[in-house]
Amino acid sequence: MIREIHDYVITELATDRELRTLAVEDDLIASGILDSMGIVKLIQFIEDRYGIQVEDDEVIPENFQHLAAIEAFIRRKTAASAG
Amino acid sequence: MPSSESLVELSLSAEQRELMERVRDFARRELNDGLIEREARSEFSREAWSKCAALGIQGLPFPVQYGGGGADVVTTVAVMEALGYGCRDAGLIFGINAQMWSVQMPILHFGTEEQKRRYLPKLNAGEWIGAHGMTEPNSGSDAFALATTARKQGDGYVLNGTKTFVTNAPVADVFVVFATTDPRLGFMGLTAFVLERSFSGLSVGRAIPKMGLRTSPMAEVVLDECLVPVENRLGPEGAGAQVFRVSMEWERACILASYVGTMERQLENCVRYARERKQFGRSIGKFQSVANRIVDMKLRLETSRHLIYRVAARKARGEDVTMDAALAKLHVSESFVQSSLDAIQIHGGYGYTTEFEVERDLRDAVAARLYSGTSEMQRNIIAAGLGL
Repeated sequence: MIREIHDYVITELATDRELRTLAVEDDLIASGILDSMGIVKLIQFIEDRYGIQVEDDEVIPENFQHLAAIEAFIRRKTAASAG
Repeated sequence: MPSSESLVELSLSAEQRELMERVRDFARRELNDGLIEREARSEFSREAWSKCAALGIQGLPFPVQYGGGGADVVTTVAVMEALGYGCRDAGLIFGINAQMWSVQMPILHFGTEEQKRRYLPKLNAGEWIGAHGMTEPNSGSDAFALATTARKQGDGYVLNGTKTFVTNAPVADVFVVFATTDPRLGFMGLTAFVLERSFSGLSVGRAIPKMGLRTSPMAEVVLDECLVPVENRLGPEGAGAQVFRVSMEWERACILASYVGTMERQLENCVRYARERKQFGRSIGKFQSVANRIVDMKLRLETSRHLIYRVAARKARGEDVTMDAALAKLHVSESFVQSSLDAIQIHGGYGYTTEFEVERDLRDAVAARLYSGTSEMQRNIIAAGLGL
C-alpha cells in the first residue's frame, strides 16, 4: 500500500520536482509537496483505490503529514469499515 | 470524465417551478422599494433580510430540525435564480449567500450538535446575521498564507489578527474565522472558529465603501487578544483548510445562481428596449449590431444556467464538484460582466444613467470575478483538475 501511495505522490503531486523517492516520514506538508489542491486529488485517489470515505473532519495533519501517517490512516479506516 | 447522465437536460418539477414563481412575486413585491436611494446611501435593509428569512430563503437547504427548509440543492439553486430575477437588490442577495454558504454550511458540516443548535436556528430565522472572515490585508488569493494566530490558553484560544473585506461584518452577530494554530504546518495548521460579536477582543471597523453591491455592508474585523472558548472551535485543530474548502465549494456552486435570474431579467429588458426604441425609422433590434449583442447575451444566459444546474445536480448526487463549481463560477461571473456591458451599450446614454437601473448591474457584476476566488484562481483550480 505505501508503495502505491508513494508512487502517486511522486507522479501526481510532485510533478514539478525531480523527486524519485520519498522516505516514509518525509514531511509532505512542510516540504510543500502536499498543498491545498494536492490534498483534494490525494483524497480522491485514496477513496477510489481503497474504497473508503474520507470524512471532512479527518483531513488533519495527523492523517496526512507523511506517507506512514497516510498508510496508518487508511488501515484504520479499512479495519473500521470491515469490522 | 463527466457521466453521460450529466449531459441530459435537467427538468424542474411543477412544484419547483411553482415555488420559483412564488419567490419571483415575493421579491418583486417586497424587496425593490427605494433601491436607487438605498444603494446611493450604501444602506443595508434589515427589513428585507427579515422578509427573506420569513419566506425561508436563508434556511432553505438546511435541515428542518435546525429551523431550515430541508430543500435539495437543485431546488435551492432554482429559488436563488428566482430571487435574482425578482429582486434587483444584488447586495441583499449577496449578503444572504455569503451567510448561507460560508457561515451556515460550515457550521452544519463541521459543527458539534451544540453549535448547530445554538447558531443555525437563529441564522435561518434571520434573527442573527453571519459573516465569514478569511481574507487578510496581506493574504487574498494566497488565502492559506494568513497571519492571524490562535494560541492555546487554558480552556480555550486567544486569537490575534485582522480580517478584511468581511461581508456582513457591520451587522453580523456571528463570525466564522480562520487562524493558524501551527504556522509550520502551512495550510494544515489552520483552524476554524465561530466567534460571537460580544466576545472580548473582537471589534468591527467602519464599513468599507465599494463600487457595487453597496447595500451589502463590508468591513474589517480586528481580533486583539480575542478570547474564544474551546467549544467555539469549528471542527478539529488543523481542519481549517478543509472547512474553508467545503465552504468555497458550496459558495462557488451556488452563489451565482441568482445571477442567472438577473441575466434573464437583463435580457428581457434589453429585448423590450430594442423593440421599442426607434432610430433611423426602425426598432434598434432590427440592426444586426444590436441583435447580435442580444443573441450573445442569450447564449451566455443559457450556458450559465446549464453549468449552475449541472453542478447542483452533481452535488445532489454526492459527487465531487471541485472542478465543475470552478467552471460555473468562472463562466457565470465573466458572462454577467460582459452581458452587463452589452446591456449598457444597447441602452446607449440611458444605460449609463442611474435612473435606468442598467449600469448598476455592471458595478454589481465585477465583484463576482473577485469574491469566492478570483477568475484567475478558478482557472488554477480547473488547470489542476486537468492534471496541469
